[in-house]
Amino acid sequence: MAIVNYVNKEIQFKVVYYGPALCGKTTNLTYIHGQVAEAHKGELVSLATAADRTLFFDFLPLNAVVIKGFKTKFQLYTVPGQVMYNATRQLVLRSVDGIVFVADSQWDKMEENVESFKNLQDNLAEQGSSLDQLPYLLQYNKRDLPNVAPLHYLEYLLNNRRVRVPSFEAAATTGQGVFASLNAISRMLLQKFAREHDTMAGNRQQPAAPPARIVLSGIAAATLRR
Amino acid sequence: MQAIPIITFEAANQLLNALTDYLEKSEASFALVIDRGGSILSQHGDIPAGSDMTILAALAAGSYAATRELATRIGEADFSTLHQEGQKMQLLMSAVDEDVVLVTGFGPQTALGLVRFYAARAVPQVAAIIQDARAAQRPAVPIFTAADVAAAFPR
Ligand SMILES: Nc1nc2c(ncn2[C@@H]2O[C@H](COP(=O)(O)OP(=O)(O)OP(=O)(O)O)[C@@H](O)[C@H]2O)c(=O)[nH]1
Ligand SMILES: [Mg+2]
Repeated sequence: MAIVNYVNKEIQFKVVYYGPALCGKTTNLTYIHGQVAEAHKGELVSLATAADRTLFFDFLPLNAVVIKGFKTKFQLYTVPGQVMYNATRQLVLRSVDGIVFVADSQWDKMEENVESFKNLQDNLAEQGSSLDQLPYLLQYNKRDLPNVAPLHYLEYLLNNRRVRVPSFEAAATTGQGVFASLNAISRMLLQKFAREHDTMAGNRQQPAAPPARIVLSGIAAATLRR
Repeated sequence: MQAIPIITFEAANQLLNALTDYLEKSEASFALVIDRGGSILSQHGDIPAGSDMTILAALAAGSYAATRELATRIGEADFSTLHQEGQKMQLLMSAVDEDVVLVTGFGPQTALGLVRFYAARAVPQVAAIIQDARAAQRPAVPIFTAADVAAAFPR
């Protein structure tokens, strides 16, 4: 759950980029780090092997929009996608607030996508959590490649839970869809936070916000380097 | 998993007092209270120039979690502190409870024994403050509403 600091007037959220090996999680963070203005970002830290495969995690702290005087901070993490690193994936998932599931759109990666999505649910269950409680979205990456599965097939394969979630086409190497995804997960987290806080404060629960028409704004508009 | 505390003015002050007292006595350079997700709950002291507390916290949480996991897997159930020694700086990480870790950084101005001794006394104090903060009533006024969020994300 988000951490609220009334002294610094800050709210912190932890967002984890999850998905199979080589699907482009690290590339998402690298692109974001390259685009966001200095004042709004910290260093991008990568704990990787010599071959640039994520070993433990990548970490990128972002300062995003200020709402009602409260600074919102998003700490972006990636997990290592390789199957053998499951113990480290579990550690990175701790206290997660929201998830961007990055799928590899290439036909021959479908099994790995499904496997990784299931692995995510297993690991969440292990820490007493689930996708029913956590905001998450799907990013179909590598749309620039020729051998990709059609969208409706990816939706059928991955976006088939009771509640369908926002999904985005992306090509992380060129940045397509990267900020749209980040923007959407941020907004989902803030909306959930606002709703829960409202309920906790004893107010009457407001009707759930309509699913956001996602546009490249909010975080992106506030933090993009001009 | 327990609820993560909301840092109210009261909790922040109490944590800061506890850390100030701890640094004075142990002569350590800095102390951080972090949650196991890697977020900072409180910080005090001088961090090495050019380093970023947010990143220190994320790495410390990862390092602590990995070492602890390693310990469990070799059958070491009672793992509560972790010490790392470098050329100039040393780090001591002490479990406060399931979800919170106290990270202390110190140089040659003090000694591991001293830091360990005072860390062991600071831990229950920090634990009590965190415990209270978890139980505390949340402020009655919401920070922002769904409408405020919508307004911050213009179409
Ligand atoms: N063509 C194309 N290549 C991509 C895209 N996104 C990532 N890649 C490439 O895919 C490879 C793997 O990308 P990473 O971002 O390292 O993958 P990862 O998900 O972090 O992998 P692990 O750390 O092993 O889990 C790199 O060579 C990237 O350049 C994309 O959208 N299109
Ligand atoms: Mg990676």
